[in-house]
Amino acid sequence: MTRNERKQLRAGIGFTGLWIVGLAAFTAYPVFASLYYSFCDYSILKSPVWCGLENYSQLVHDGLFWKSLRNTLFYAGLSVPLGTVVALGLAVLLNCEMRGKSVYRLLFFMPSIVPIVASSMLWLWIFNGQYGLMNGFLNLFLRPLGLHGPAWLADPAWAKPALIIMSLWSTGNAVVIYLAGLQNVPMELYEAAEIDGASAWQRFVHVTLPTIAPVVTFNAIMALIGAMQIFAQAYIMSEGANGNGNASDGNPARSTLFYTIYLFSTAFQDLRMGYASAMAYILFVITALLTWMAARLTRGHDSG
Amino acid sequence: MTVLLLLCSAAFVAPFIWLVSTSLKPIEQTLTLPISFLPKAYYAELGGRRMEVTVDFQVTQPGAVVRFLTGDDAGKLGFLGAAQMASRPGTFTLVHAVAAGSWHVSQRFDREIGETGPTPLWDVVPRDQVDSHVKFRWANYPRALAALGGDAEADRHRVGFWTFLGNSLTVAVLGVLGTVISNAIVAYGFARLRWRGRDAFFALTLATMMIPFPALMVPLYGVFRTFGLIGTLLPLWLPTWFGSAFNIFLMRQFFRTIPEELSEAARIDGCSEWRIFWRIILPLSTPVLVVAALFHFIFAWNDFLGPLLYLTRKDTYTLAIALESYESQNGGVQWHYLMAASAVTILPVIVLFLLAQKTFIRGIATTGSKN
Amino acid sequence: MVYWEKWNGFEGQAAQAVIDKFNQSQDRIVVDYYATSVPDRKTLVATAGGDPPDIAGLHEQNIATFADAEALQPLDDFIHGEGMTNEEWLSRYYPVYARICTHGGHIYAGISTPAVEALYWNKTLFREAGLDPDRPPRTLAEFNDYSRRLTKRDPKTGRLTQVGFMPQDPGWWPWIFCDWFGGKLFDASGITFATDPHNVAAYAWMQSFTKSYGLDDVKALSSEFGPWASPSAPFFTGKIAMVFQGVWYDNYIHQYKPGLDYGVGPWPENVPGVKDFAMAEADVLTIPRGAKHPREAWEFIKYENSSNPGARTREELQGAELLDYLQVKNSPLRVWSPFFTNHHPHPHIAMMRQLSASPNAVCVPQIGIWQEYYREVISAFDRVRLLDATPEEALAYSQERLDASWARYRRSLELHGQWAALGEKPP
Repeated sequence: MTRNERKQLRAGIGFTGLWIVGLAAFTAYPVFASLYYSFCDYSILKSPVWCGLENYSQLVHDGLFWKSLRNTLFYAGLSVPLGTVVALGLAVLLNCEMRGKSVYRLLFFMPSIVPIVASSMLWLWIFNGQYGLMNGFLNLFLRPLGLHGPAWLADPAWAKPALIIMSLWSTGNAVVIYLAGLQNVPMELYEAAEIDGASAWQRFVHVTLPTIAPVVTFNAIMALIGAMQIFAQAYIMSEGANGNGNASDGNPARSTLFYTIYLFSTAFQDLRMGYASAMAYILFVITALLTWMAARLTRGHDSG
Repeated sequence: MTVLLLLCSAAFVAPFIWLVSTSLKPIEQTLTLPISFLPKAYYAELGGRRMEVTVDFQVTQPGAVVRFLTGDDAGKLGFLGAAQMASRPGTFTLVHAVAAGSWHVSQRFDREIGETGPTPLWDVVPRDQVDSHVKFRWANYPRALAALGGDAEADRHRVGFWTFLGNSLTVAVLGVLGTVISNAIVAYGFARLRWRGRDAFFALTLATMMIPFPALMVPLYGVFRTFGLIGTLLPLWLPTWFGSAFNIFLMRQFFRTIPEELSEAARIDGCSEWRIFWRIILPLSTPVLVVAALFHFIFAWNDFLGPLLYLTRKDTYTLAIALESYESQNGGVQWHYLMAASAVTILPVIVLFLLAQKTFIRGIATTGSKN
Repeated sequence: MVYWEKWNGFEGQAAQAVIDKFNQSQDRIVVDYYATSVPDRKTLVATAGGDPPDIAGLHEQNIATFADAEALQPLDDFIHGEGMTNEEWLSRYYPVYARICTHGGHIYAGISTPAVEALYWNKTLFREAGLDPDRPPRTLAEFNDYSRRLTKRDPKTGRLTQVGFMPQDPGWWPWIFCDWFGGKLFDASGITFATDPHNVAAYAWMQSFTKSYGLDDVKALSSEFGPWASPSAPFFTGKIAMVFQGVWYDNYIHQYKPGLDYGVGPWPENVPGVKDFAMAEADVLTIPRGAKHPREAWEFIKYENSSNPGARTREELQGAELLDYLQVKNSPLRVWSPFFTNHHPHPHIAMMRQLSASPNAVCVPQIGIWQEYYREVISAFDRVRLLDATPEEALAYSQERLDASWARYRRSLELHGQWAALGEKPP
């Protein structure tokens, strides 16, 4: 290295020094330690003892692990597509409407910055089977038919749908992103399509969608990664609707036992941290795959 | 189109309205059907005086208020339907008759569930004799906040709302400072300097964004434990002083838009990199710094998993954890207090947002689009 | 010094009174009492985080789990520092309480308040059935017979109005019946829930009540039961004539049904030759690992596990006796002071003493997976009493799950080199 290069390197490391420490201490060490722990029997009160693939083989046979995975995939598999459609739909609506647009945008965005504990409490109350807003509203239509709204969070069949509905309320930040994306679609493309005699719907399908596809795909995959790690809402709400002191059982009937909840309770309540680390690594692998997919898909479109 | 938009906004706003409405109701009106949005106060005449009452139920059959003569309830007042009166003649004297559709009302004391006191007066009166008007129970708010920390007399180690607020603020403010300062410095190193291995290092930085937090959770906990930091607020804000991949990315994007000539001119003048950073780049970077600060404040204020993991003592709880443990505290959930406490937690964030809307929106839009 | 304990209300006040006396008796240590909900879970989390209280008030069933997890500090060294061997220290307790405090050959806890369970019967109902109200059943056969004679039906509808005994009231300890029948829940080879025939016999006995009453009749009668701690509890309203309940029960009777004419006596003899079978429990005091003031914590534990054996007045009561006097419970110590013996507020304290002193008294099995075992015990009990499964089926199902869990748990202990010392011997 030349003297100048060395000087540059020193400056570079000087400035990024904080991050080097942070990366090493708070990211690199934990990532590798997690991998090591996943092959150990480890509770924080006892040192880790190597046990090879035992944790992983136990996971394969663990009914609760598969249940938590199924619950998580169900939730993510529904909330992300629905959330994307809702957010995109709202963005399209806002794109047309000129007057008062910023007010609407505000209204849609606000719920997404509400603290998760507060919104969990609020939705817990909204989904109250007897006195909640949701059933109060639904029963207006169901009563005449002789039906009534379900017990939502107290009913194993309806607990996850309730959480999915709650997630739709917080899609506001995606609305903002999609709106910006929509506004970046060049007007010329629309004009050209109009000249060719395309209807509004055809313009949407053939001009708008392809142009914003990268943004939508990227955000959808980020949302998917986030949805797979759902924790706080389920933890708080399963305690509130079925309160028996054990918030991390995913009650009712383990229908809201999600992956991260099972991980958390295994690590910090059963103190089986090696086992939890194995679960964490599997999640890491899944997330990495999804991220790689996101990168591939969006890079492919960018060149179009 | 407008109609659709209005409907959608109604759907999004309704939960907030429900939140505020419940928080201003007295407890008995949160548990009534059909659901109502406006809290009311009812007044009727009982025992010769006009007083506030609760409406207990509506009488569907005609009957009468009677005074019993025999049995366990001798001497006491009661209500009997017409059929019941016919089946037990002579066991009571008539006080006054009651028409169908009347309301059973009882004296309303302003006290909590479980508190004891004098027995309320009651009566069954025709509907038109009960006045009502809308009354917001603002007192719910201070009571809810007072109850957050635990049972007043029983617990000599009660922690107050202000402590929780203080903890949340400490974590948020120290986190914001750490985020802004450390990431600006690091991002400068990636954006405005050229050095060997820079791009590879940056690519590595980006790659770390895909590591899910659970994969770091257990060893990170161990690290903090080794330094005796579990149970304190430090694990919640200390790491922000050492940079974060997302913010490095955000700020680097911005720094690269500042013309290179400014730096070049300063270098020719003999300025050190630090001076260039401090005196030229940083003052121009207010927009991105504000965005990063806002994002982190919101994140820290709303964070639940972090405090759940690291905080063990009540006196270090943030508002998020205090609110969650409040829910599981008493026997039954007191919705009006819970909603009031939740509203208080939401308020600062909303206020912050309204003050800095444009920055917020612009920040979200840029992070989501350019990738 | 920080002390986390589960009590508030009058029990909390009793604890505070003893703490005040301790604080005043010396000027080096001040104990700071924190009423904590779910103290066991919170203590484990705090210990894992390296920031535990100095004294944690747990239940006796936590000891094995916490000790195996190495979350507790053994008290052996402190005891030796007092110039005593473990045996000498433990000799202050009745045998069952000494057993409760130990696990794997070490002493991990002191007792805060003990409890013991006895047979309670409704004397009025006995008289109505033509039984001697002062003579409780003495053998299992007599118990079954009395129960039959105390069961009444409405002549018109045939529905039950009263039963002699129902195992689901209170239904908290189905496992004790296994012990009562002479069964073991585990031994050195592993889980014996389904493999020990006495356990099967116990569950069959529990099921026999539903069978003889009829499931629908049981459900109908149960729907009339109020909560156990309320005036409408089945024992208080004369719907159940005999229950097995704990030393605290007299308080509740006094509170919710003061006029009840009831008797308290020993468990009937089940296994021939085993006299004075009884169940014992305790709230315990432990020192979590990583506590900042273990020495001082030991001083307090020592205080609450000693007494003034010559106390003749209320003011002379100390330590264990003061706390147990105020909470209206028996004392775990062998030696009782004259005041405690003769002026105890509990009307049946002599019977409680007799039962807790018995060498045949039994406590919860000290096995690290007890939480899970207990859930299986309850779940098997529910299936069996609702006639969803035969005892063999229910126990076999639980056995399978427990075997897997135990194999995993044991493997973990082996990996950490703890198995040799423990061997998880039954108490």
